[in-house]
Amino acid sequence: MLKLELKKVTRKRVVKNGNTFKDMKVLKGINLSIEPEEIYTILGPSGSGKSTLLRLINRLEEASSGSILLDGIDIRELEVLNLRQRVSLVFQVPVMFEGDVKNNLLFGLKIKNESETVELEKCLELVGLESNFLKRDSAELSSGEKQRVSLARTLIHNPEVLLLDEPTSALDPTATLQIEKLIKDLNHVLKLTVVFVTHNLSQALRLGHRCAIIVNGEKIEEGKAEVVLKNPENLLIQKFIKGELVKEEN
Amino acid sequence: MTGNIGELFLALILVGISIGISYYKKINLEKDLLIGTIRSFVQLIAIGYALELVFNLNKLWLILLVILIMVLVGGQTAGSRSKGSLKEFSISTFSIGIGAFFTLGLLLILGIITTDPKYVIPLAGMTIGNSMNASALALERIHSEMKNKKDQIEQALSLGVTSTQAVEGSFKATVKAAMIPTLNLMKVVGLVQLPGAMTGMILAGASPLEAVKLQIIVVYMLICAVSITAVITARLSQNTYFTKYHQMIVS
Repeated sequence: MLKLELKKVTRKRVVKNGNTFKDMKVLKGINLSIEPEEIYTILGPSGSGKSTLLRLINRLEEASSGSILLDGIDIRELEVLNLRQRVSLVFQVPVMFEGDVKNNLLFGLKIKNESETVELEKCLELVGLESNFLKRDSAELSSGEKQRVSLARTLIHNPEVLLLDEPTSALDPTATLQIEKLIKDLNHVLKLTVVFVTHNLSQALRLGHRCAIIVNGEKIEEGKAEVVLKNPENLLIQKFIKGELVKEEN
Repeated sequence: MTGNIGELFLALILVGISIGISYYKKINLEKDLLIGTIRSFVQLIAIGYALELVFNLNKLWLILLVILIMVLVGGQTAGSRSKGSLKEFSISTFSIGIGAFFTLGLLLILGIITTDPKYVIPLAGMTIGNSMNASALALERIHSEMKNKKDQIEQALSLGVTSTQAVEGSFKATVKAAMIPTLNLMKVVGLVQLPGAMTGMILAGASPLEAVKLQIIVVYMLICAVSITAVITARLSQNTYFTKYHQMIVS
């Protein structure tokens, strides 16, 4: 499985401010080193640049400077479509494609004529869904089921890294715990490297392994989740934990 | 109706009625109606003289030049209906041009029409006019598809498909939307409305049966030109929303 490294990664965006446009730094020189088969949690308040970070790794966006390395190879040297299948991104709000669940699972494959070789039932089983889900209309699924289907359609490509962008934020507590367990199982069974973005502290603690805290586009702390979150020395982290980190500070 | 100058001035009574309604109901369109009346009068008179010249000279290069000007004006009009950028103008002009020249060229090759400007120019006008509407509709639709379905398209891209594959649904919806007016015309032609070419021929004294024959060719010609224009506009326009690395540019 793959080691993922980010070296001095920045991302600038042009934002409209009244009638003028200005450059806004969404990410400011992020360094991260994520080990193979690790569940690495990225924590931070809303608007801190966490989702952008995942989009850069999946190359839905381009970093303004710095480099992202996959097993030592700059991702810009890899074929982008292949990269996206090896390093899969699961979104905060899954959007289902038209048709049934089967159609959703085959979406990335059908148009490449690889569908015959795929075991759809196995993919559904991996995300805890019965095989009879294949015929279900994707529009009629619950939020939790949609997120599972969304996970399954990335697993079809046998990814090596799973990028999860707040995948439980729209789910109830029970479904949240189920998805967390599922992620842990996938990490264990498929030996996947997992990057899990969340703003939920207890979730980061439950997922274990290491975490980084990003505030206002900067990494302010990194380490084992228990250590970083239970006895923080950094004032910003203390405020973040207490829910007192107001917009002016971040 | 002979089209003499006296009749033209008498027809202005109709515009006067329209201006009167606007004034009486305080719709505030009097100025626009007046400008529109003068503009259409000047434009049509000028075109009348220009076509008279083209018809009399009967030179192929002149016919092609007229069609080219029509294509450019159509491209500019279709492009300006959306974002109005140079890119959209280029896409519309190119799509309309291909649709028009292909269709008219095919009609010429098949011997259905001759290079007589009396046939070619009015047919080109109808083809370009309809293609222009199709192109404008396609530009508008693809823009709203990209904007409204950004999340869906990005989730498709994240699965490792190309941008063309990710927007296939939007592409089909765009082509359909652009072709609806022409498809509707095909459904109701002769029943609800008598199209321009047919009406013109009947007013000029041709028998309705002769007019119908020409109109059938016109309808088939339009559907061909419109479908070509819609497909090219949708595909070229869709490509402007992505980088070469299949990243979406819409903000």
